[in-house]
Amino acid sequence: MDPRLVVDIEKRYPGFRLQVQLAVGTEVLVLYGPSGAGKTQTLRAIAGLVRPDRGEIWLDGRPLFRCDGGRRPLNVPAHKRRIGYVFQDYALFPHLTALENVAFGLRGPRRREEALSWLRRMRLEHVAHLYPSQLSGGQRQRVAIARTLATAPSVLFLDEPFSALDLDAKRRLQEELRQLQRELGLPVVYVTHSLEDAFAVGHRIAVIADGRLQQVGPLSEVVAHPANWQVARAFGLPNLVRARVRRASADGLHLDWDGQELLAAPRELSPGEEVLAYIRPEEVRFIYPDRPLSAAVRHNRLRVRVLEQRLVRDARLVRVRTAGPPWAELEVRSPPSTYADLALVPDSELEVAIRPSGIVVLEALAQAEASAEGSSPS
Amino acid sequence: MLSALLVSLKVVGVATLVIGVVGTLLALLLARARFPGRTALELLLTLPLVLPPTVVGFFLLYVLGRGSPLRDWLGLDLLFTWQGAAVAASVVGLPLMLQSARAAIAAVDPELEDAARTLGRSEPEILLRVTLPLAHRGILAGLFLGAARALGEFGATLMVAGNIPDRTRTLPMVVYDAALNGDLALAAQTSALLSGIAFIALALTRRLEQPARR
Repeated sequence: MDPRLVVDIEKRYPGFRLQVQLAVGTEVLVLYGPSGAGKTQTLRAIAGLVRPDRGEIWLDGRPLFRCDGGRRPLNVPAHKRRIGYVFQDYALFPHLTALENVAFGLRGPRRREEALSWLRRMRLEHVAHLYPSQLSGGQRQRVAIARTLATAPSVLFLDEPFSALDLDAKRRLQEELRQLQRELGLPVVYVTHSLEDAFAVGHRIAVIADGRLQQVGPLSEVVAHPANWQVARAFGLPNLVRARVRRASADGLHLDWDGQELLAAPRELSPGEEVLAYIRPEEVRFIYPDRPLSAAVRHNRLRVRVLEQRLVRDARLVRVRTAGPPWAELEVRSPPSTYADLALVPDSELEVAIRPSGIVVLEALAQAEASAEGSSPS
Repeated sequence: MLSALLVSLKVVGVATLVIGVVGTLLALLLARARFPGRTALELLLTLPLVLPPTVVGFFLLYVLGRGSPLRDWLGLDLLFTWQGAAVAASVVGLPLMLQSARAAIAAVDPELEDAARTLGRSEPEILLRVTLPLAHRGILAGLFLGAARALGEFGATLMVAGNIPDRTRTLPMVVYDAALNGDLALAAQTSALLSGIAFIALALTRRLEQPARR
C-alpha cells in the first residue's frame, strides 16, 4: 500500500503537546483515542485550520506544510489543500438549502447540476430545497458528506461522523461510506472513540493518546497486542496490573503482583523494575476441580471468588476477585458454551490458571511515566 | 425646514455609508482578530456613546482642523461643511453599529468558516458568502440604529460644522433655533418628523433582532 497522505507534525498547546506521525494509503484509517487525546487537533492541523509548530505534511507527493527550521517554510492555505473535512456536527450552512450547501464548494455554470447529482447519489434529491434545520440527523450527515465529496478532495476526513445517529442509521451510513471509499479510491481518516465503529469501517487503526500517536496497525492485531499501556487503556482493556520483576529466566519473566507470583512470557527486564502488564481475559481458564489437569493450566494458578457472570453477544464474561493477595479483580472471557457445567454463581470459590503467553508486559513503568510526562509539560 | 431636511439627508446618507462600511470592517476585526490593544480599541470606539457630544466635537476639531494630516497634507478642509457634519454624525453613530454588528459576527460559528475553507473558498469569499449573510440581521439592526443616531446628532455637529443655514443646518438645529426664536409650530413639526423617523428605525431594529424563522 503506497502512502498518499504523509504527516509528521508537532504542535504545543498550553499544557499539551501534539506529536503525530502518520501515513495513510487508499484505505479507511481509524484514528482512535479517548476524548481530549488530540484526534480533532490532528485533523485540523493536517487540514490547515491550525498551523503546526514544526514538521511536514505531504499529500499525493505535494507538500502542504513544511517547517523544520532549515528550508524556507511552506504553508498551503486550507482552501488549496484539497482535503475534504466532514465536521463532527456537520457544519452545514444554516442560511443555505441542502442543494446550495452541496454547491457551495463548486464553481462554474454547471455547479447546480453537479450538486444535484451528488444529492441524487446520496438519495437526497427530495430534500434539495430544504434548509439544514428541516433535515433529520442522518440527512444532515449525508448532505455534509455530499458537500465534501462534491469538491473532489484527495483525502476525506470524518470527525466522529455518526456519533449523533441511532444505531440503524449509523450502520447504513457506515456501509455507504465503505462503498464510497472503494468507488472513489480515496484515503479516508475516520475519527472515533468507539471500538465498535472502528471495526465497522476501518482497515487499520491508529491509536492516539496524550497527544501522541501510540500504535498503528491492522485493527485486530492492535487490539490483540497493544504496544503499551496508553493503548491498552484507550481500548478500555480489563486486567491491567502493576507488578515488579523478580527475575528473568529462560522459561519466562517472573513477576511479583503484590504478593502473588506470576510467570509471564520471556522478556529482558532487570529485577526490581516495575511493569504494567495486561492479562488477556481469554487466557484465564477456570480449572474443573474434578478433572485431571492438562498441561495448559500448569502455571499461574490462583484461587478466585466469582463476583458476577454475564453472557454478551459472543462470549461469557466472568468477573472474579482473587481470594488472596493482591485481592484484585480479574475478567475471564470464554466462548459462551464453555464452563456450562461449572457453577459460576456469585461467591463460589474456584481456581484459575493463566497461560504465561497471556500475560503481556506492556511497558516498564519508569518508561511509561516518562512518556506521559513528556506530553504534559506542567 | 426643507433645506435643513436636504442637508440632513446628505449628512445621514454619507454617515450611514461610512458607518456601514467602516463599522462592518471594525466589527469583523473586533469579533474575529486577536491582537494586543483590542479591548482598548473597542473602548475607544465606544466612547462617543457616553461622552458629551461637545467633547466628541472638541476632539474632532483637532482631527479635522489646523495641524491635522487631513487638512495639511491632503488639503481637505472639512470644518464648517456638511461633510464635516457627516464625519461627526458617523463618529457618534458608529458605537451603536459596532455593538450590534460585533455581537452578530461573534455569534457566527467559526466552524462554518472552517468548513468553507476546506471546501476551497478563500477568505474574501467566506466573508461575503458565510460570515456576512449569517450576521446580516445584526449588522442591519446596528446600521439602522447608527443612522437614527446620526440623524439626531446635534452637539458634535454644532462644534465642527456650525449652524449655517442651507449649508450645515440640520433638522435638530432647526428645532433648536425655532424653539429659541419662539417658532413653536416649526419646532413641533420638526420634532414630530424626527421622532417619527426614529420610531420607524427602532421598529425595524426590533424586527431584525427577533430570531429568523428558519
